[in-house]
Amino acid sequence: MIELTHFQILSGFLFAIGLYGVLARRNAILVLMSIELMLNAVNINLIGYSIFMNASESHRALGHVIIIFVITVAAAELALAIAIILRLYRNKSSINTDDINIMKW
Amino acid sequence: MNNLTLLLPEIFVVILGFSILTIDFFIPKNKKWILPCFAILSLTGILIFTLVFLSGKTDELYGGILRIDGYSLFFKSAFLILGGILIVSSVEYVNKNLSNQGEYYSILIFTVLAMMLMSSSGELLMAYISLEALSFGLYVLVAFDRYNIKSNEAGTKYIILGALSSAILLFGISQIYGLLGTTQFNEMADILGNTSSINPGLLIGFLFLIAGLGFKVAAVPFHMWAPDVYEGAPTPITAHLAVGSKAATFALILRFFISGLMPLMIDLQIILIIMAALTMTLGNLMALVQSNIKRLLAYSSIGHAGYLLLGLSALVSINQSGNFNLAFISNTNFVVSGIILHTIAYGISNLAAFLCISIIYKKTGHENIEDLAGIGKKSPFLSMVFAASVFSLAGLPIFAGFISKFYLFTGASMQGLIWLVAIAIFTSLISLYYYLRILKYIYIEKSKDSQQINLSVISFGLLSVLFIAMIFIGIYPAPLMDAIHHATDALSMLN
Repeated sequence: MIELTHFQILSGFLFAIGLYGVLARRNAILVLMSIELMLNAVNINLIGYSIFMNASESHRALGHVIIIFVITVAAAELALAIAIILRLYRNKSSINTDDINIMKW
Repeated sequence: MNNLTLLLPEIFVVILGFSILTIDFFIPKNKKWILPCFAILSLTGILIFTLVFLSGKTDELYGGILRIDGYSLFFKSAFLILGGILIVSSVEYVNKNLSNQGEYYSILIFTVLAMMLMSSSGELLMAYISLEALSFGLYVLVAFDRYNIKSNEAGTKYIILGALSSAILLFGISQIYGLLGTTQFNEMADILGNTSSINPGLLIGFLFLIAGLGFKVAAVPFHMWAPDVYEGAPTPITAHLAVGSKAATFALILRFFISGLMPLMIDLQIILIIMAALTMTLGNLMALVQSNIKRLLAYSSIGHAGYLLLGLSALVSINQSGNFNLAFISNTNFVVSGIILHTIAYGISNLAAFLCISIIYKKTGHENIEDLAGIGKKSPFLSMVFAASVFSLAGLPIFAGFISKFYLFTGASMQGLIWLVAIAIFTSLISLYYYLRILKYIYIEKSKDSQQINLSVISFGLLSVLFIAMIFIGIYPAPLMDAIHHATDALSMLN
């Protein structure tokens, strides 16, 4: 039987893996993919809570509403990020995050 | 009253943004000055309309998602004025350095819309979406100088860290939604007030939320993006980042804390105290060693975020035990007024400082602190305003920064946070060193050339307005304080 805990463990793991990816990956596109993983962890968390919540129908539906907004915002954010990284690539011919070092300290 | 009519100011701003995009297609390249003129005139009209139409109205829209009250009215008008100032200060910079003017001004106006929504949102999902709308606009504007590699780099750093912070914020929101069953601030306060023990998962949710919001206001330890992004962004946008995005986020945080988190503030206070102490100290210490003037002001604005966090941690008294009670509400109101006043005073001073920098950059092409040498001779008026803004940021008397810091620190010490106020005063003293270093270069160092800096009418006018505002608020803050008290009362009545 699948309980709320399973959802929470899965979402916690996904979130942690995503965070690790953001910190460890050196390719800007892979960093973005890791951020997507974190956002999807949020979605799994929300859907789990929304299924097992002891509340009225409208309060449970709110979780689904939030998920739709999260997916939309994540897509927009990714498109924007790729556009900006593309500009960087045109000017610098590299998307390795270690090379983004003109400004530091 | 019909829901849509109360949203008219926002609807007008949306129409303005899109109409600027459209007009941009139909005017020839040498007549682009029409765009900022049109934008400023319309923003003034919307400001007057908002003040007349919304004053005295209190309402909830769409079941409490958006709140129309004195608090949101105050911030809406402040953000409309800020948008106007930013557009005026962008005109020359954009003409010289950037292409695609139509997009620039329309995105700027959309960020104003997002800030207006942030100050009136009464629910976490709405708060998140408006925060993202503001951030999206700023991501584009930061990377707007497409052929400048610094701007690209700043944009990349900003969007990656911004997306990371919004993922963290969302995880916090999902925890809060799951364990409280609501995302509305009022209902959260009711539920939190009735439960005696806090679920640890819920505490994690609030911590993640504070971390996500801390990213947006550049509080230590989530500040690492700020100096790089401030340095690389076009200078008017740096002013927007330092003033607009910070003020809007604090407007959102204040409403969230006051109307939603008050029963939990005693548990969260220690985190806020630590964050405030770290932010004040690190921001001001790191500013000491900077050589780029925009980077220096970035660290100084991190320090100022620390002072605002000091206000946030003083929302409840340190001696208060047990549940939140109404006897302390007057002190809390005092602190909230202090935070709002400091946001305004800091905003005006920073806008003046960044405008000066962008004028100097236009003439010299450099942004290093050494390049300020001899500006005092080249343009006495410009350097006078620069000096005034720097003094105001440092918090010296007769300028706005003094009165606001005085108010904020008084409020915090009334709530028993004497040690934190001591740190704040000590770091203010440290900050004087690097502020005075700017003045040393302006007035004492000799310049290599004797090329005069001539101010255009636009920048002269805007500089005088900001200069007068700084001194006026410093000498006679009563009219502004009345408006702020009005806003604060509207905020605390929600409880």
